[in-house]
Formats: sequence, structure tokens, C-alpha cells
Amino acid sequence: MKTRFYPHTFAYLLPHIWRVLCKGACTVGFPFGEAKLPSGYRGVVKIKPELCRGCGLCVRDCPAFGIELEREGRDKFRLIYYPDRCAYCSQCETSCNFGAIYQVNEFVPATDRPDELRVVLVDRWPEEDSTADEDQTD
Amino acid sequence: MSKTIVPIGPQHPLLKEPVAFQITVEGEQVIDSAMRMGYVHRGIERLCEERTYVQDIHLLERVCGICSHVHATTYCRAVEALIGVEVPLRGVYLRALLCELERIHSHLLWLGVLARNIGFDTIFMYAWRDREIVLDIMEDLSGGRVSHAANVIGGVRVDLTEARREEILGELTFLDGQVARLLNVVEQEQSLRARTRDIGLLTLEQVRQYCVVGPVARASGLDVDFRRDSLQVPYDRLTFEVPVHDAGDVWARTLVRSQETVESLRLCRQILEDLPEGPTSARVPRRVKAGQAIARAEAPRGEVFYYVRSDGSDSPARVKVRTPTLTSLITLPVQLQEITMADVSVVLSGVDLCIACADR
Repeated sequence: MKTRFYPHTFAYLLPHIWRVLCKGACTVGFPFGEAKLPSGYRGVVKIKPELCRGCGLCVRDCPAFGIELEREGRDKFRLIYYPDRCAYCSQCETSCNFGAIYQVNEFVPATDRPDELRVVLVDRWPEEDSTADEDQTD
Repeated sequence: MSKTIVPIGPQHPLLKEPVAFQITVEGEQVIDSAMRMGYVHRGIERLCEERTYVQDIHLLERVCGICSHVHATTYCRAVEALIGVEVPLRGVYLRALLCELERIHSHLLWLGVLARNIGFDTIFMYAWRDREIVLDIMEDLSGGRVSHAANVIGGVRVDLTEARREEILGELTFLDGQVARLLNVVEQEQSLRARTRDIGLLTLEQVRQYCVVGPVARASGLDVDFRRDSLQVPYDRLTFEVPVHDAGDVWARTLVRSQETVESLRLCRQILEDLPEGPTSARVPRRVKAGQAIARAEAPRGEVFYYVRSDGSDSPARVKVRTPTLTSLITLPVQLQEITMADVSVVLSGVDLCIACADR
């Protein structure tokens, strides 16, 4: 079978071939390679505990019920985050009026430890009180 | 000749999403077809009534995995109409930018799927490669490739810096060249035309009878586009053409969608060049006063409609969604008439079904 040469196709392909050669590997050498994430990537949820006032707006607006607030009185509260429920939608960041909770452009690490699926973001519950509560429960 | 029933779906390589067809064939000729839906029904409309207005944005964004932003935008516009808040101009422009990027991504995805199903893998590879550029822009803009979570009631939560705006314009220039090349291939390539011409025919009368919307209607000669017809901001300030073809077959739908991609790129460029200064969202009260409102928008597959009723609480009393795929789905028995079994895949691809949208 005779092979035909298409100069237009070849001319089109040349810059693409050149670009691919210059670009290098597309894949990341996980876990040692550098993962380039866009600046606005909605990744790990973080908190500045000193700014949190326990108003509960993030809890109320979270569509995945990924944040819970344990409260007793005005100043005694605990903000708990469940990464397995989280939809990473940034709603908590949008809802927070004090800039306490926010997302950063870091990949969310996988885990097989159940204790890592319950993260206490803010703990304003005095130590002796929480121990007393646990004793009562037992 | 004896009749044979060929089941396609709910799980089938031809279909992106679960829907079941029973095609009755006599030899190679299709003589009847039946369809069964509901495999991805999630009860989203009912769930909306149990969540707050803010939580519903993210729930409704998950109605569809391709046109997620337009669903959230339309819902937010309905709630904003209930509240009576006006979205700042920059927020409106950014919403429109994401809608147009989503249209480009949806049409390129569709072109790839059509090409794959007719065995034209080169177009499939090129279309999906170019779609990555759009997805990267959207990811950088909103933080997510598919679920953008860009909307808030009263505007958008994302913003663009001047440097990023220039970068996106540069990326769009590159994409312009790629899409022009794809359009050229689609228009000139004989094998693509041979597989899609006179297949899945819908006349203008049938389009009107079944209330078909979007590219399928425009490919049958119905000149309808909500962006142009509604004269809403920002489309009343932008210049764009609405591609319309008369043939009513899959070939015409391919042309309509390909040309729409070019027009959407043109719109993105205009939006970025005319992007007004100012805030991206307005402050809104958390409680919505009692009443009802509707909102419409032109999704990639046609007009999407939202109805929201409020009883004065912080959760909606009713949310009703009407998606464009439903009207296209009911025309399938008509389109599948008098074709051969080999063309069934072309017809099903040509409509651009979104079952997740239709089932909800």
C-alpha cells in the first residue's frame, strides 16, 4: 500500500511535537515530585483558632454537614471538622465573617486512621471540664 | 423477518450515564424503541426543601457534572429575585464568563464523545486535549475543575486579578487556534459528514411540537437562544451570533455546537476585556421573604428553568428544575425511526443527553 504524505498535516503537527518535547513529562513523580496546584485550588481546610468566635455560621451553611459545634455557655465551645464528609466547596470560608476558617491550595492527604477523620479545629473547652464530662459519660 | 430486541444500557460503553434503551430491530433496520430512565434519580428537589438556601447552592450544583455552574447560577438568580437584591456588575460578568467556559468545555466534551462513538478517534483526542485548557482556566478561577462553587446568593465569591485576566486572554488566544482547526476538520472531513448526514432527523414542526430547546432545536432551524432573546446583562452588551442550521440531522447539530464554541470563545474574550471594576457580590439577608420566583438561563444543552417558592423561612418550600435534556429525550423515538442499528450510536450521541440533569 502506498503511503501518502500530507504536508498540511505535517506542518500542523510540527509545533505540537516541539511543544510536547519541550514540556517534558506530564505526570508528577508522586510522592516525591512537586505537585503544582492553581493558586485558588480548594484543598485542605485550615483555621486560625484565635479568630474563631464560635458563632456557628460555618456549621449552619456547610452543605455536607462536615463541621459541628459543641457549645456550653458563651465562651465554652469546641469546633469539630470531619474531613471525610467535607465537599471542599469553600462555603465555610465564604460564610465566616472573621476570616478564621479558610482553604489552602494543598492536596488533601488520604488516611486510614479513623482518629484523623475527626479534627478539633478550635478547642475552647477547659481541660478539667472535658475530663469531668468524660468521667460522667463513663 | 423476525424481530429482535437489542438492549442498550443502563451500563453501556456508548452511554456516558445510565439510561436503558430497548431497540427493536428487523434485520439491520430499527423499527421500534423504548426507553427507561430514573437510574440516577437522587431526589434533589425534595432534598432542597430540607436544607437552607445557602446549602442548596452546592446541592443543585451537583445536579449535573458538566453544566454545574449554570444550575447554581440559575438557582441563585431565582433566590436573588425573591430577595430583591441586585448583583454587582462584576459579579454578573464573572458568572457569565464561567457559563461560557462551561459551554466550551461541554461542547468539546460532546464532540469528543460523538467522534469516539463513530470511530473517529483523532477528533476525540484533539477535542479532549483542548478541553483541558478550559478546565485548567476554570480550576484556576474557581478552585475546582467541575464543581466550581463560585456562586453565592448575591454574586460570586471568586475574583480575577489583572495579571490573571491577561493570562486567561493569552490561553484563550491559543484555544482560538485549536478550536478553529477542529471546526475546519469538522466542516471539511468527509467521513464525519458521511456518518452524521440525514441521521436522527427532526423537522422544525417536530421541534415545536416537542418543545425542544438548545442546539438540537437550532440545528432544526428554530432560532432560539435565551442569552440573546432575554436581553439580560451582560449579554445585551456583548456581540455574538447564534448559529442556526436547517438540516435537523446530527451533522447540523455538530455544526451548531462547533460554531457555538467559537462564539463562546468570542464572548469570553469580550467579557474579560470589558470586565467592570467593583465588588463581586452584594450583602443579602439570610432569611428570604415569602413569595415565588422563576429564573431561566441558556445552559450548554438549552434553556434551563428554575422555580423557587419561599414560605419566609430559611429553607425553600419548593424548588422545581426543568432541564433541556428532557425535551430532547422525548424526541428519541422519532429520531430512531427508519435508521439502521449502526446509526443508533450516532443518534444517541448527537442529542448530547445528560441523564443526571434529567433524572435529578
